[in-house]
Amino acid sequence: MQGFPGGAPDPQQLQATMLALEQAWSLIQVHMNPSEAEKVISSLHSSLMPYQTCRFILETSHVPNARFQAAGAIGDAAIREWGILSDDNKKSLIVYCLNYVMEHASSPEGYVQAKVSAMAARLLKRGWVEFLDQEKSAIFFEVEQSIRGIHGPNRQFAAINFLEALVSEFSPGTASAMGLPREFHEQCQWSLEVKFLKDFYCWAQAAVFNTAGSILNENGSIDEAKACSAAFCLMFHILSWNFKHNVEHADSEAKINSGLRSDAINLKKFERSLVKPGSMWSDILISSEHTTWVLNFYTTARQKYSYDPLWSDSSIATSCRQLIVQLCSLAGSVFPNDNGDAHIKHLMHILCAAVLWIEPPDVIASSIRNGASESEFLDGCHALLSIASLTTSSLFDNLLKSIRHYGTINLLSALTSEAVKSFLDNQNEETWVSDALDISLEIWNVILGDFDADKSPMSVDGAIAASNLFKIIVESHLKAAADSAFEDTDHAKYFHVSVSKRDEQLALYAQIARSAADTTIPFLAQLFSERFACLSQTNGENDLTQTLEELYWLLLITSHVLTDSGEGETLLIPEALQAGFPNVVEVAQHPVVTLSWSIMNFSRRCLDPGIRARYFSPRLMEAVVWFLARWIATYLVPLDVSRGHVSRAEFDNADNHGLQHSRKVLNSFAWENNQGELVLDFVVLISMVALTTYQGENELQTLTCQKLLATVVRRKHTCTFIVQLDSWHDLTRAFARGRSLFSLSGRLQRSLAETLACAASCIKDPEASAQYLRDLMGPVAGCLVENASRSDFKSVAQQADVIFMVCCLLERLRGAARATQPHTQKVLFEMGHTVMNSLLTLLEVYKNQSAIINMILRFVVDFVDGQAVFLDANEKSVLVNFCLQLLQIYSSHNIWKVMLSLSSSLRSESQAEKYKDLCALLRLLTNICSKDLVGFLSDSSIEGSQDIGEVIYVGLDIVTPLISLDLLKYPKLSRDYFALVSHLLEVYPEKVANLNKDAFARIIGTRFILSMLQDSDIVERCLTAINALASYHFKERLGGRGGLNSQLMESEGSNGKLQESISSHFLRLMLQLLLFNDFRMELAGSAADAFLPLLLCEHELYQRLVQEFVEKQQNPTVKSRLAMAFHNLTNSNNLSSSLDRPNRRRFRKNLRTFLRDVAGFMQIE
Amino acid sequence: MSDSEEHHFESKADAGASKTYPQQAGTIRKNGYIVIKNRPCKVVEVSTSKTGKHGHAKCHFVAIDIFTGKKLEDIVPSSHNCDVPHVNRTEYQLIDISEDGFVSLLTENGNTKDDLKLPTDDNLLSQIKDGFGEGKDLVVTVMSAMGEEQICALKDVGPK
Repeated sequence: MQGFPGGAPDPQQLQATMLALEQAWSLIQVHMNPSEAEKVISSLHSSLMPYQTCRFILETSHVPNARFQAAGAIGDAAIREWGILSDDNKKSLIVYCLNYVMEHASSPEGYVQAKVSAMAARLLKRGWVEFLDQEKSAIFFEVEQSIRGIHGPNRQFAAINFLEALVSEFSPGTASAMGLPREFHEQCQWSLEVKFLKDFYCWAQAAVFNTAGSILNENGSIDEAKACSAAFCLMFHILSWNFKHNVEHADSEAKINSGLRSDAINLKKFERSLVKPGSMWSDILISSEHTTWVLNFYTTARQKYSYDPLWSDSSIATSCRQLIVQLCSLAGSVFPNDNGDAHIKHLMHILCAAVLWIEPPDVIASSIRNGASESEFLDGCHALLSIASLTTSSLFDNLLKSIRHYGTINLLSALTSEAVKSFLDNQNEETWVSDALDISLEIWNVILGDFDADKSPMSVDGAIAASNLFKIIVESHLKAAADSAFEDTDHAKYFHVSVSKRDEQLALYAQIARSAADTTIPFLAQLFSERFACLSQTNGENDLTQTLEELYWLLLITSHVLTDSGEGETLLIPEALQAGFPNVVEVAQHPVVTLSWSIMNFSRRCLDPGIRARYFSPRLMEAVVWFLARWIATYLVPLDVSRGHVSRAEFDNADNHGLQHSRKVLNSFAWENNQGELVLDFVVLISMVALTTYQGENELQTLTCQKLLATVVRRKHTCTFIVQLDSWHDLTRAFARGRSLFSLSGRLQRSLAETLACAASCIKDPEASAQYLRDLMGPVAGCLVENASRSDFKSVAQQADVIFMVCCLLERLRGAARATQPHTQKVLFEMGHTVMNSLLTLLEVYKNQSAIINMILRFVVDFVDGQAVFLDANEKSVLVNFCLQLLQIYSSHNIWKVMLSLSSSLRSESQAEKYKDLCALLRLLTNICSKDLVGFLSDSSIEGSQDIGEVIYVGLDIVTPLISLDLLKYPKLSRDYFALVSHLLEVYPEKVANLNKDAFARIIGTRFILSMLQDSDIVERCLTAINALASYHFKERLGGRGGLNSQLMESEGSNGKLQESISSHFLRLMLQLLLFNDFRMELAGSAADAFLPLLLCEHELYQRLVQEFVEKQQNPTVKSRLAMAFHNLTNSNNLSSSLDRPNRRRFRKNLRTFLRDVAGFMQIE
Repeated sequence: MSDSEEHHFESKADAGASKTYPQQAGTIRKNGYIVIKNRPCKVVEVSTSKTGKHGHAKCHFVAIDIFTGKKLEDIVPSSHNCDVPHVNRTEYQLIDISEDGFVSLLTENGNTKDDLKLPTDDNLLSQIKDGFGEGKDLVVTVMSAMGEEQICALKDVGPK
């Protein structure tokens, strides 16, 4: 072939390479010596000009995998050597690949063909900007001929496949890397979209037309069917394109009135999006009745093949349905500007066809359960979701009414209830069931979200459908709950995953319930009262487990219906509930009110020990506590807000009077007649019960501490009430002075302490607030101090009960430290100050109890974190001294220590503990630095106060030896470490000059080299650090001072070579990083920033290194290109020798160009 | 409120005679110690579940014998008490290694302690022997619990 790159081949050599490759592959298959074999393969990929060899293998080898590798090697090599290939070479490679695919179109090894196609597509894209339009047209002319079926179905298939590869290569999401900037990819994407994409679609259409007839007559060959489904796939892929070049119609009033909208968010959950190709596509997609044709084709074929149960899973059926679902998501200016008529008609057509796939839901679901295919059903659901996203809910409902006597919402309701039922008796855990349920609940989410948005109530039918659906959902779930009541619960590991999934589902159910609140809330109230009655009637003989489990589920769903979950947000009473009862004016008759109080009254019974023992199981208590937390967060509305509603209601017009009044009722009922205070009092009492009488029930106690109490304390208006309650004083006294709360696990001690300490900020009088905290934490700190100073402490310290006690106290201290707020900071600092010496004692005594050591470190970390920004100079020096002592003691205990243990898992446990300690120490140092961020606010020049920078260097010097190179391989530790180092070097570079040599070598030394191999985040931090150091050095030298030179001459000589300055050392390192490693382009910016000052500092060395490097190259082309690239790097763009911003920017640009030029052929090394 | 309710560590110095201490199962954490089948263990995994949905919580412990390295498991209702071993660690200066693999250690009061064997793992053994051979000052940590003792850590405190 003319222009094919590579010299005249040596036949023997070719044969040998092919044999080696085949041999390597056969070894990999039997898992013998895979690393050797991989080396053979990768040597082919990275060899110089391997094209002749690859071609030989592609044409002669009988081993398909060898051909596959050869195809890949052509692509890799050509992309790499693109710069040294001639224009003829490039084109002939593409044409060769294309011809190969066409000639071998009937080959049975599809994956080899696909690979060669993909390579052709990749190379075509690489040359897209260089090639002339007629050159591209010539290539595509051949492809079009084949797609139109002139050369038979096999070639048709191959050509369609090639286009599919091309489309995916040109989509940025699926493009392969070429070492080119993003602009190139965008340019290609734009050019293909404007000039070719539509043509491709038309060709695919033509291919389908050609083959459709014979397929519908059932006399099509297998090859024809294959080509046809490939064409459908191609059309689908083209419609999945992220269209950029389109102009949207201005949203006219008329269009909005027509009931169309576009809400693509929910499609994303299922990895789909709206398709907006723009008006250019209107002729082929809309006015040509293309959609109708596709729908008719599918419906006809579906009838023809109805005897074959496997047909709906065949590739032609799936690809056609995929296309239909994609067509369903069409939107935007592809439809004419006719008030949405054409779009609505389009959706109608699709719905008419797709409704056959899902209706009647019960019959179809049962046939799927009996083994029929589910794919059609699921695609129907997807189509429905697309329609729902594009229409308002009333239009959505009306679409079906033109062909049925009921609306789409009715169909959806039937569909969902079928999905729920199948989901609950899904024994085999088939995925289609949960998929169908997910999609149908999502459709509800879309249409109900729309009702919420424009406040138009749902139609009467719709509301009835929703209400009926909710009843079915509740009944099925209650039945399932009763059936599963005796099963053991899952282990905690999987528990939380399943809980969040379950909550998501319940929230969607709740939305359905709220849309018909006037019937569903009374329904829930009735179910509750039946179960309450059932509990109170039993005399202890019957087993209540089933009723308890039903109540558990009812409490969960009711919380979801009455409240939103919104973590950390200010919750509002759901709008649907506020607007849902316009006719209710009496508080006592409001269904939400009665439901709330009936649950509250029931829950209150748990305070009676006898009743508690009878039926308040831990699990039921969990639901009660959870319900309470959510209810309080929503219904104990801040007083000003609930009054605000009252005043606003008076001004509103009379029409809305009923509605406004019912809103007012809902916003104020909880505080009326002192109910709010009673509820809060109950919260404290039930918390006390849960924490003290449900021993060992971690799940319940966690909910109590972290959910219920935290919710109450986090809200100012509830917190100010609660701190005045007697029951709260009892709780804090029990915590500070009693023993009963010591039965909680450590983690809970911490969060309880945090919550109780937080409450101090809601006591208005500062004196009282401080006293509250002292009463709360004083005894805890006192106990620690008193015991640590006992003369016999050393001898009892190791006993398990003492250890347990110390852990509890430390956890409490840590919890309180985390609650530091501006006006509690002073008191908490006092607390910390009191225990400092005791902590050092504990550090000494418990040096072998890693758990306690870790707790001490973490307390200090949190303490410093909370305090750092508030401290004055005195306090700062106290704290910093303490931290240094802590570091020194820790280091003296742990350095050079080797754990000896028989069990490797115990050894790795102790490694893991060390690792956690070090993470904590680094965080401690970082937290101490955090004052830097606000440092300019304070006067750090006060005499006697320590310089933070120095302290951190000393700290780092203590910690660094403990961090072995192995440990530094852990990304988190390594990231923390380099973040700290780069922060230091940026802020305090002058300190480096004063460090002693050992310290410097230790902190900076070899660690940077290692870090270069790590993830880009860490490398980036290192580059920042180098930049800081080198810039400092450069500026110092410019000012005539020594910078880092004098100090560092000998610091880096350990590698046996000459001793050199730190900047030379880093310069070598940078060159190595840029040229030899697989450098990542996203780091180019920070690399340039680090490189420039080094280059300016060590210009002579740089010249020498470059010279050496260029001389080493064998290939003259490479050599000259490399020399050129190096020349341009420092000489283009008016680069000057300063470090100002414009110059840095110029250098960044130069380096990017350099990397792009060099990256390709340097990988040959 | 009476003073007796204030927290004090209840243990007296002589309570060390007891080898274990009861602690509620729900409060034992990963990395804590526990006695399983009369062996002192370190907990490496804790998970909780309920006996029937409305029953009480129980804890499932996976733990490793701190002396033999064997894995042991136990299930305990989380409100019940488990035995937690008293695990002591003492540091001694290493003064000699005898031919038969026993070490000679210097105690705080100046006596020697000669009843401990070197670890059997070759790697660790060579670390101790080489270090000692090079004349380094070595401190070994001896872990003891429930009447058993073993060398568990080694530290080089000598001048570098």
